[in-house]
Amino acid sequence: MKEKKQTINAQEQLKQQEFQQEAVAHINSLYNYALHLTMNPSDAEDLVQETYLKAYKFFNSFERGTNCKAWLFKILKNNYINKFRKNAREPGKVDYDLIKDFYHTIKDVQRDTTEAESDFFHSLLHEEVYQALQSLPEEFREVIQLCDIEGFTYEEIANMVESPIGTVRSRLYRGRKLLRAKLEDYAKKHGYNTEFGE
Amino acid sequence: MNCSKAKVLMSAAIDGELNLKEEFELTRHLDECPECRSYFQDAKKTKIIIRERIVRVKAPQNLVESIVRMTNITAT
Ligand SMILES: [Zn+2]
Repeated sequence: MKEKKQTINAQEQLKQQEFQQEAVAHINSLYNYALHLTMNPSDAEDLVQETYLKAYKFFNSFERGTNCKAWLFKILKNNYINKFRKNAREPGKVDYDLIKDFYHTIKDVQRDTTEAESDFFHSLLHEEVYQALQSLPEEFREVIQLCDIEGFTYEEIANMVESPIGTVRSRLYRGRKLLRAKLEDYAKKHGYNTEFGE
Repeated sequence: MNCSKAKVLMSAAIDGELNLKEEFELTRHLDECPECRSYFQDAKKTKIIIRERIVRVKAPQNLVESIVRMTNITAT
């Protein structure tokens, strides 16, 4: 790489600087998204690595002023589809052992979460909320993840999933309805007799 | 507006994605419908619980380093 060092120009240096500020800042979000997609830490690392390689290569095509995180997510998702989708599980089928393992793997890793207020929601375990989410058909799970966990706008999500905003809106509505029913089941199991949902 | 239309709007309202007209209509319905008001409260909590209960982890340090290195590869 020594020859390359000599050929570096100011423009390239600027690109590097901008990339590190704009793109590398989102690495935790991307890693979490990759984990949820692959359910496997080492696949997730590969996916994030490849995403950044591609993003850096095509950084000139990133529209300045738009959401860089959304741009990176889209690259990651495309990468995921190309790489893993062929042998992905069927939507709606959940491997609960896999989820348990997954939580076991990451449980000692530093958590980045705050506690909810104390009502029946409080009784829901992390694993249960995750299981409920994972049990949704993919088209619903995906928009909930992007909206509620990652905080993207409907417009950004529409762009990522390549569907109209109206579709995103109705998927969120229907997905949340399903999700609430599942969460209510879990709450009941914990002895909460709630009219939650209706 | 009936309750099922209101529920559809609530989902988008929670995300701050209603236009002014929809927001006005929903507010008017909520003012006169206690069931929907309580449904709306639960719907808001559902969003919060998703965000708070899904465990977030930090990207492994070696991954962060290797990506920073990758962008530094031609730097002086
Ligand atoms: Zn109503």
